Amino acid sequence: MYRFNYHKPDGMDAAQQLMADAEDGVYLSGGMTLIPTLKARLASPTDVIDLSGLALSGIELADDSLTIGALTLHSEVAAGNEISSLSNLALAIGDAQVRNRGTIGGSIANSDPGADYPAAVMALGATINTTAGAIDADDFFQGLFETALEPGAIVTSVTFPVPGRAAYEKFPNPASRYAVVGVMVAETNGDIRVGVTGAGPCAYRQRNFEQALADNFSVAALDGLEVDYAEFNSDIHASAEYRGHLVGVMARRAVAQIT
Amino acid sequence: MAEAHDLKVIGTRPVRPDGVEKVTGRANFGADLYLPGMIHGKVLRSPYAHARIKSVDVSGALAMEGVLAAVSRSDFPEETDDLGQNVIARDKVLYHGHAVAAVAASTPLLAEQALDAIKVDYDVLEPVLSIDQAIADGATLVNEQMHTNGDASQPASNIAAITKFERGDAEKGFAEADVVVEGEFRVPMAHQGYIEPHACTATINEEGKITVWCSTQGHFDVRTQTAAILGTSISKIKVIASEIGGGFGGKLSVYLEPLAVKLSELSNRPVRMVMNREEVFRATGPTSATWCKAKVGAKKDGTITAATAWLSYEAGAFPGAPVGPGCMSVLAPYDLENFSIEGLDVLVNKPKVAAYRAPGAPQAMHAMECVIDDLARELGMDPIDLRLKNAADEGTQAPYGPKFPAIGLKACLEAAKAHPNYTAPVPEGCGRGVACGFWFNIGMQSSAEVLIREDGTVIINEGSPDIGGSRASMCLMAAETLGIPYDRINAHVADTESTGYCNMTGGSRTTFATGMAVVQACEDIIAQCKERAAMTWDIDADQVDWDDGQAVPKPGVNADVDPLSLADIAKTWGRTGGPILGRASVNAQGAGAGFSVNWTDLAVDRETGKVDVKAYTAIQDAGRAIHPAYVEGQMQGGAAQGLGWALNEEYIYDDNGVMENAGFLDYRVPVASDLPMIDTQIVEVPNPTHPYGVRGVGETPITAPLAATSNAVRDALGFRVSELPMSPPRLLEAIDSQEG
Repeated sequence: MYRFNYHKPDGMDAAQQLMADAEDGVYLSGGMTLIPTLKARLASPTDVIDLSGLALSGIELADDSLTIGALTLHSEVAAGNEISSLSNLALAIGDAQVRNRGTIGGSIANSDPGADYPAAVMALGATINTTAGAIDADDFFQGLFETALEPGAIVTSVTFPVPGRAAYEKFPNPASRYAVVGVMVAETNGDIRVGVTGAGPCAYRQRNFEQALADNFSVAALDGLEVDYAEFNSDIHASAEYRGHLVGVMARRAVAQIT
Repeated sequence: MAEAHDLKVIGTRPVRPDGVEKVTGRANFGADLYLPGMIHGKVLRSPYAHARIKSVDVSGALAMEGVLAAVSRSDFPEETDDLGQNVIARDKVLYHGHAVAAVAASTPLLAEQALDAIKVDYDVLEPVLSIDQAIADGATLVNEQMHTNGDASQPASNIAAITKFERGDAEKGFAEADVVVEGEFRVPMAHQGYIEPHACTATINEEGKITVWCSTQGHFDVRTQTAAILGTSISKIKVIASEIGGGFGGKLSVYLEPLAVKLSELSNRPVRMVMNREEVFRATGPTSATWCKAKVGAKKDGTITAATAWLSYEAGAFPGAPVGPGCMSVLAPYDLENFSIEGLDVLVNKPKVAAYRAPGAPQAMHAMECVIDDLARELGMDPIDLRLKNAADEGTQAPYGPKFPAIGLKACLEAAKAHPNYTAPVPEGCGRGVACGFWFNIGMQSSAEVLIREDGTVIINEGSPDIGGSRASMCLMAAETLGIPYDRINAHVADTESTGYCNMTGGSRTTFATGMAVVQACEDIIAQCKERAAMTWDIDADQVDWDDGQAVPKPGVNADVDPLSLADIAKTWGRTGGPILGRASVNAQGAGAGFSVNWTDLAVDRETGKVDVKAYTAIQDAGRAIHPAYVEGQMQGGAAQGLGWALNEEYIYDDNGVMENAGFLDYRVPVASDLPMIDTQIVEVPNPTHPYGVRGVGETPITAPLAATSNAVRDALGFRVSELPMSPPRLLEAIDSQEG
């Protein structure tokens, strides 16, 4: 780890001011990605701004949507039962230690290709609420560790419409439990969405799957559908082709859960 | 030898003496020593897998404030052996991560920054990264002076040595066979997976006396190796073994200690050096990647008529792959008239391999036990029946020479056949795989001193670092011998100046050989106590018995006295000759060979290639289990490591010889949630040469799991996958290519 200045602001404005003033600042939420990155010296920020003093934690159920504060822990989402597929997803993140430190806001803002939540954000059509306004799921993830988040802005909460039915299936990395590929299939008010994480540089929707399932919501509807894996991630754990194959397998298994 | 039903303490399961300190974090490991004025050492490592070193200049580092010493090859004797060249590179760097220089500075961070100020000029060479590359015609040479088996009349080669074992006529045996099966198998480099990185602290005083505190499996070996590399006398060095956070063979060689001593000498300060995980992966010894061929022929009734094995092992950058033990083990479970075994020790530009639990045996036995499984399938025989038909037994000549005394292979096979996990049908959708395991075990040299405190409680001093609960085992054997309760005894791993010479903890020798010394030292105590009692009672010592922890007059001896306990004798020892201490040393022979039978039921997800291990059973002959819970723990740990190696673990190198997964996030050891309950059954066929019948139990457990797992995957899929690890992408590819 290299030296950096540590700050723990107690308000949103103070946090953003610190970020504006920093030469090369980063926000720290649960630190589940940032801390190992710092330890491995893959990042050398001048300032680390710890958001844990902000009041951004909690789960709120409205008529047809669930709003989860950005600092809410994975273990807290896992313990909820408002959207069972989302709770199951949270329960499959990392291990108990990670679930007790990691936050939904951190996971989403980081846009790690192996993170689980982005699949749910895409499949459920969530809205990401930030200090610079709300952003639709479809606009949020823009690339490897890249989002539509304004510079210096902070994710404050995520609002998930409660789906009619939804299921998440993932193929975990055997060591880290990151998603090699994770797929969430959801039907919300008749609208079918398939969110994929792990496979590509960032989470995306598998549109041809969505169309097939809209015509015929069944496992068989996905048979033979192509997944274009040309731009997928390829690393020591899995080739792009293998990831492409897993998108189909995980999607079929998710559909099987809810048909 | 004591019969099992006579034993009072051996075979019980008391809490281990080192347990509480470990789980509370109080135990002091290799990195936990703080000395006044201590500074911190770091190693500069080669960025190339193969390069000639043109020059090393440490002056830039030395010019930095807070940097107190820097060393490179020129600070060590020119004449050095492989180990010395591994600790600090001389003419060439031979693997990515090879140590080139080291610095010591007031803080670890400063030491690390100082590494950047060291200038090394390299002439980069082509790396040799696999056996195939190394033995190909015209291969680049890792060592231009290396000739196979030292035969300088032949051209230089990357094959350091060829080992051969033969008996009878294998070709004739194959000609007599009704069925012949063969296979070719590859097993990757794997890491022992010890949690504690290598760490030491060294200090040298004004008189040149060196003290090293380190995490090691053999502090006497650290003394020998460090003295040799520094060109000094062992009498100048004291080594203290810290608590050890796992070793499995990986902590038998020095890496940091000679550097730390040299840095201490130059800085006149104590120097601590601690590797990070990445350094452990890149620069310390894993076990060999192997390429093995196995062939076996048999009559229709299952009688094996011939077997051959060709075993080639990557040694890393210096000779010394565990191919010898591989050759010894590969056919050990079978009573054969005709066989031939050939083993190759092959240099490549990767870290020098180290021991890993039954070094060399898992890879070779994987090949042969897979072929034996295929043979059972060809013959339509139960795999245990086929093994029983050919099993080695008392009197069988081992492939490596001696005749086996009493061994437990048949007992393990019979126990497996009768085990409810084996008689139960294979679960729907699963495959089942069986394999035998073997390790010859070793004896070697151990010393023990047994000291009596003035209240009659007992201290054992011995020299075997405790990597598997051996202090508890020593206390149990001492308690049994002395006839006193377990909790009145402490065992202590003494430093190199506080106990007699002792070989390393390895070869599953500690409970056997050091245990033998402890038992003999306790017998020495008993003999002395009898003399003290005789003196007290004014009778002859041979008229005294030691019964249940007390001196008593022999039946018929006319002495109307109360028995004397150790505490009683201690209370009056001032009048009978002073304090009592016992001692013994052994060069133990006759370490009984350990055999096992393992099987697993597992399912393969044909859509993803992922293996789900549903059940695992290990049966092993322990001779006699001193502490059964630790024997079971060894069996379970070996199964876990073997499953990891079979299914997921491997060192992944890029084309330049740089490891791509040098950390536990990418090097995939199994965790508890990956594993089923590993059921164990201990078989006890006592080893006649040990007073309580002990056989080593630490290594045999990892010799069967690779093949058991491979055979179960074979059973589940209907075809064989011959390359490990059977990771999901590899299995899916195999499934797809089978299904066309």
